Amino acid sequence: MEAAPGRRPLPLISSVQRQPWGAIIAFLLPAFTIYTAFTAYPVVRTLWNSFHTVLPKNEEFVGLDNYAALAQDEIFRRAVGNTFIWACASPLAEISIALLLALALFAKIPGMRFFRVAWFTPVLMSYVVVGIIWVWIYNYDWGAANAILRALGLERWVQAWIGNPKIALPSLILVTTWMWTGFNMVVLLAALHSLPSEVIEAAELDNCGWGAKLWHIIIPLVKPTLLNLLVLSFIGKMKIFDLVWITTKGGPLWSTETASTYTYKRAFEWTTFDLGYPSTIAAVWFVIVLAAVLALTWLFRQRDRLEY
Amino acid sequence: MRILRIVFSLLLLAFVSSATAQVKLTMWSHWAAEKIKRDFVEDSIKRFEAANPGVKIEAQWYEKTALYAALKTSLRAGTAPDIFYAEPDQTEYMDNGLLLDLSSLNWPAIEPWAKEIWSYKGKPYGLPLEASTVEIYYNKKLMADLGINVPASMQLDSAAVLDLSKKSRSKSMTPMALGVGDRPFPGAYLVQEALLKKLGTADYDNLLKGKLSWSDPRVMDTLRLIRSWTDAGLLPTTFTTLKLGEAHTYFHTNPGAVMFVNGSWYTSRAFNPPDKGGQPANFPLGIMKFPAIPGAACNECRTLSVGGSYVANAATKHPKEALAFLNSLATPDTANRWLENVLVQTGIKADYAKVGGPYAGYFRELQATSQGSKYYFGLPFQVMQGKPKEVFTQVFNNAFPAGSISVDEAVKQMNAAYGK
Amino acid sequence: MISRAFLFVIVALYTAFAAGPFLWVATMSLRTTSEISLDHYAWPEKLHWDKFPQAWFNSNYSVYFQNSTLVVISAVIVLTVVGAMAAHCFARYRFRINRLLYFVIFSAIIFPPQITIIALFQILVDYGLYNSLLGLTLVYIAVQLPLTVYILESFFARIPADLFDAARIDGYAEWDIFWKVSLPIAMPAIATTVILNTILLWNEFLYAVVLITDEAKRTLPLGIQRFMGDQLEDVGMIATGLMIAIIPVVIIYIFFSEKLIQGMTAGAVK
Repeated sequence: MEAAPGRRPLPLISSVQRQPWGAIIAFLLPAFTIYTAFTAYPVVRTLWNSFHTVLPKNEEFVGLDNYAALAQDEIFRRAVGNTFIWACASPLAEISIALLLALALFAKIPGMRFFRVAWFTPVLMSYVVVGIIWVWIYNYDWGAANAILRALGLERWVQAWIGNPKIALPSLILVTTWMWTGFNMVVLLAALHSLPSEVIEAAELDNCGWGAKLWHIIIPLVKPTLLNLLVLSFIGKMKIFDLVWITTKGGPLWSTETASTYTYKRAFEWTTFDLGYPSTIAAVWFVIVLAAVLALTWLFRQRDRLEY
Repeated sequence: MRILRIVFSLLLLAFVSSATAQVKLTMWSHWAAEKIKRDFVEDSIKRFEAANPGVKIEAQWYEKTALYAALKTSLRAGTAPDIFYAEPDQTEYMDNGLLLDLSSLNWPAIEPWAKEIWSYKGKPYGLPLEASTVEIYYNKKLMADLGINVPASMQLDSAAVLDLSKKSRSKSMTPMALGVGDRPFPGAYLVQEALLKKLGTADYDNLLKGKLSWSDPRVMDTLRLIRSWTDAGLLPTTFTTLKLGEAHTYFHTNPGAVMFVNGSWYTSRAFNPPDKGGQPANFPLGIMKFPAIPGAACNECRTLSVGGSYVANAATKHPKEALAFLNSLATPDTANRWLENVLVQTGIKADYAKVGGPYAGYFRELQATSQGSKYYFGLPFQVMQGKPKEVFTQVFNNAFPAGSISVDEAVKQMNAAYGK
Repeated sequence: MISRAFLFVIVALYTAFAAGPFLWVATMSLRTTSEISLDHYAWPEKLHWDKFPQAWFNSNYSVYFQNSTLVVISAVIVLTVVGAMAAHCFARYRFRINRLLYFVIFSAIIFPPQITIIALFQILVDYGLYNSLLGLTLVYIAVQLPLTVYILESFFARIPADLFDAARIDGYAEWDIFWKVSLPIAMPAIATTVILNTILLWNEFLYAVVLITDEAKRTLPLGIQRFMGDQLEDVGMIATGLMIAIIPVVIIYIFFSEKLIQGMTAGAVK
């Protein structure tokens, strides 16, 4: 059996044996039962919902009406836009800062182990905890962000960070960057450590400038890891809900509305019990996410030529 | 033989105990943090249980957003309580046949406009316990310190508001406390009351229901007026994130503001003991009408809305007992008790002259602000539905008072929401 | 070469940025709200350790904590066993639809939660599992299954085939091969997935907020959110509550940091 690209060949069990189907089924059954009942079936049911008006006491087939309404829904468009902006900006920020930090640690700053641990910690916190902390940080009157600006004499820059529609989204992007940079840094550090040392030493000998060394040698070498992290981070941001819910709930003026918060609101907060329309939002969003991830992986596969 | 006797006595016991079995009703309500209202309801429950042995009511108290979410899902799941708190804007309950028809209640004892608000397809579905108007509370001392005189009409005019804003800002004081961090309606008070006065009840109704364009010059003039107030620094800097409960504290305790626009249910939080979020003892509380709007069609118009009400679950197993409890609230005695203790208006007919109690003085002032008023029934978010409601909330509750959206842009968004 | 000192400054600044918020919350957790209102950034002058028991007992924290523990431990145990079984099967047996089935499960990692959550709500209601810890546990198992299978499969696949052939020659039954050969060797990966799943499920919020409404059944993330009552923002108590939520995670992290980092970065390094 051929292996998926880049993976080691699947170790073969001696082909003299016939396949023990009983065992195979036994091993897979529990997982697939759970998967079918709580993942596959819900997906199908959501799609089914999207063609109906789903009320507590009756369901009515409405064909493509929900989809037609969705096409006109500017809030949905806004939400999709916001999520994409987030999913593009945050990974870029996280990973570039992470790379610089990884390089700093790689250059053998003392206390590497401590920093690795300290920077990794934000990732482990619940988004709820992170959200509450950052709402405090962004508080106009006494939050750390404005307090530091005032202390530095930069009064002009003091803002209502999450109360202002123009900067609410960037403020939240900063929060996810804060959370995930440490994670990306740890991965990149591991990747750097696994580079063959001859290449690094050769670069040192060549007396390249620092910038050139970075651009021409190090980045190409860790590119597979970088691309992988970008995809992972992208997927993660497309799913984001908790953070927005705790901080801005999609406001102000829909500037932080994401696909997930909008779906939740339509399903549980609008004055209607209908679950059909939110299911439509979920279905369309599902397709968008799949398409985006496929496009991204394809794009990166094209450029992912350096393997070793 | 002996076994037979034992079995027989057990059966007799079971029969007897089931005959006098307690009917247990479950009730979910908002007002977990509003001691006065909570005490009132619990007292009413006790009175009802005393008058109806064999019926017990188990009440669970929630915060509003948590309550709504829990109800929405549990009504779907069939696990909702027998009686619960609701407000008249929740038409989705009636649309889906989830509420018990309350036609058999003692409606002569209830104000007709309150019954009207709760009517759906000709039948009433809620007991309108709480009613409220929009008032401006103010700190008498701070007002005097600023040299602003509140006339006997209890109504300032727009110039006085601007003057007040300027003067308090010059003393680093916030003119008006207000916060929309966790509610979809307080920010809109400014715009709604101003528009109501400018347009009069008929055109205001048309505006909210999409029959009058938001580009109407009277509407835009009013919006510009409110914008001039907010530009003068009327509202706190933390307006968008300040929560309702926090806004109360902002006004009467820390840091203190001159005015606070709120529903007349202000008292249900403010008259809590100070350590539970209430106003300090001897706080110089004043109350006045919403400022007069220049060129208004009806400066004596104000919003009267039904707030907290109780409804019965259509799927309840004890409809008789549930209705009996709701009926026990529909008496003048209950209404007066409510007025005296909670100090908010009610949809139940009451004898206003007989209201006594320690806060009677405040109550007289509250009545004074309503004197000669013409009422429009319902807050915008109760009257509007769907898309227009969502846009109105985002624009006029949050963004417009915060100054993040221009008058033209706000008007454009509202018109678009109605499909114009 | 960039000077060491400059790099160190950058590193120090970033550490302040990354760890600062936690330090702030930690100090606030030991001060009362009135002290905090006077100065939000002062070091606690009196360490109010009593706030921790207060938060625990007076605010239902113990209930939330218990619920979270129950749900997470059950889910992780089932996840590990079920996931390992499936991963072992995918890794060690050749059959035509192996890769297809694996892809079906693996691809679910990309699924945004919205596509399942509304229907899950309906399904749990239909089966009477709505607003129950059991229902939530089952959903959690399903949610983390793809990732678990993915991590374990790549580890199982690396085990040399000779071990299995030897076991088979020795007469081991298929289940014994799994239980006595694969699992023990894969212990590092198992440990990793256990820690990973524990942390992810401990912090999980969206499914919990939709599927649980009963006060008595809330998990910790829901509890914290609710703690932000609408009357006064009791910043001091909330900070204490946050610390209670953070501490178990930090403890797990201190003991298992290497495993955890390996687990979370598995597959990301190429």
